[in-house]
Amino acid sequence: MTRFVARRIAQAVLVLLVATLAIFLATFALGDPFASTGEKVVPPEVQAIDRAKFGLDKPLPVQYLTYLGNLVHLDFGVDFDQRRQVSSMLAETLPNTIRLALVAIALDVLIGVIAGVIAAVKRYSFTDVLVTVSSTLAIGVPTFVIGLVLVGYVSGLWIFPVVPRSFTVQVPWWHEVLLPAFTLAIIDAAFIARLMRGSMLEVLRSDYIRTARSKGLPERVVIGKHAMRNSMIPVVTYVGISLGVLMGGAIITETIFQYNGIGYLLARAIQANNAPVIMAVVVVSVVVFVLLSLLVDILYAYLDPRIRLD
Amino acid sequence: MSRPSQLRDIWARYRRNKLAMVGLVVVAILVVTAIVGDYLTPYDAFEQNLLNATAPPSAEHWLGTDVLGRDLFSELVYGVRLAMIVAVSTVALSLVLGVSLGALAGYRGRATDTVLMRATDIFLAFPVLVGAIVVVRAAGQGIWPVIVALALFSWPVSARLMRGQVLALREADYVEAARSIGAGSRRIVVRHILPNAIAPVLVYAFTSIGVVVVGLASLSYLGIGVPPNVPEWGRLISQSVPFLRVPGKTHLWLYPAIAICVTTLGFALVADGLRDSLDPKLRGEG
Repeated sequence: MTRFVARRIAQAVLVLLVATLAIFLATFALGDPFASTGEKVVPPEVQAIDRAKFGLDKPLPVQYLTYLGNLVHLDFGVDFDQRRQVSSMLAETLPNTIRLALVAIALDVLIGVIAGVIAAVKRYSFTDVLVTVSSTLAIGVPTFVIGLVLVGYVSGLWIFPVVPRSFTVQVPWWHEVLLPAFTLAIIDAAFIARLMRGSMLEVLRSDYIRTARSKGLPERVVIGKHAMRNSMIPVVTYVGISLGVLMGGAIITETIFQYNGIGYLLARAIQANNAPVIMAVVVVSVVVFVLLSLLVDILYAYLDPRIRLD
Repeated sequence: MSRPSQLRDIWARYRRNKLAMVGLVVVAILVVTAIVGDYLTPYDAFEQNLLNATAPPSAEHWLGTDVLGRDLFSELVYGVRLAMIVAVSTVALSLVLGVSLGALAGYRGRATDTVLMRATDIFLAFPVLVGAIVVVRAAGQGIWPVIVALALFSWPVSARLMRGQVLALREADYVEAARSIGAGSRRIVVRHILPNAIAPVLVYAFTSIGVVVVGLASLSYLGIGVPPNVPEWGRLISQSVPFLRVPGKTHLWLYPAIAICVTTLGFALVADGLRDSLDPKLRGEG
């Protein structure tokens, strides 16, 4: 177990090194942020001073190594646009994204698992067909369409705040998080329902379920305890991956709802060519993703003791 | 799977699946539209007419006009071609990369395997959209940067699938038989392993076409996919955002959204049908 975790962490560090290098090269391929064209050109001397201020006059390898060195201290530098500490921008937005991701995951596991189990247990019934058809339909609908419909027709009603939220309105966080979370949850729930139905059907055919039934266990225990635990494995993988993606910032959904998370931060940074912010958000989302997939592998072994990690 | 009798079996199983047939019809219509689209459209999809912007559906403009006064029906037909070109090229590119590198990793093993699998780890660590955004921003707007960006982050999945298949088949009796009569590595991989290993990878490819279509629309929605004047579905929807709450302007976003949904759904149904007919054991599960 310790050996496995150590090897995976070493792997994760390697992945991070290559990934940061790639992002670094890609963001700096975006061009010189202080170049100026047009009628009123910033004097070249001023441009040079700006460049020197951000260390952009040094060779790329030096810049990259300096960035890595600072990263160890969680120092993401200062952004080009507002000259703010990028780490403080992250500190402001990351909690919102985590909140959104957790609420979305809770919603989709709840909906997905229940729908999948019911569909599997009552195979070929009306409910089963309903679940199968609606989950196929939901997978075909892009997130931003669901988001737009909710922004257009649901926001402003009941407890859901109008988008974009006016500065004169104060709303508790869970009012704001509900619609974007629901947007993210619908499609994931459809996937989970399908996964759950498939693996549940397979498990229900296995010998140990027949044994459990024949020794007279009530159906509630057979399904709820014996069958559920083993059919959860593909769901756990999927939830882990999906949580990783969501924590990395649901760019589209956060942008549609103008939700102050790292996804919306990234979308704005991309529009403004704000490389330090782009870098920081991508690094955070890769780190979170890698950590969560490690966690999923460990959970695997817990759910199915036959899986040996070493 | 390459022999005609087997193809006939697969087709017979596929044909029994009604939903899969519906999907096949949808896909066929989309492909034909993409090819002959120019002859179907009453207007030029790029022609703007600001005096007649956001007009509701009428006899002249069957689906109305968009924010810039372009004929929405013509734009959607053009969008089919765009989506098909991007989807097919992306999936083809990622299949070629994924299948060849996956087969190489699985068959060679050792160092080749380790290096290639670590490479897939790195690509899989990026959320697809985030990775694609960075690549497209760095490479510049256009159809090709989008295709390359989406392919770059989707080949690792087919590579892993392929590797798993090859690993399992490498020790199969018939492969050993081929080896014992002196077949070379290339012949074994191409003629014996590939035909038996390709099915799940193909199914994945069909599934991912929908993902690519949505990916293209999402990139354009964020304003970083195709150039701004191209009538792409996602961009049509993002242009209509200011009109979201205006009564009578629903057609602006509704029809492009329907186009995206129908496309992804069509390909998803075909993928489901293919999976069931290629591997009868899995029938009706998930």
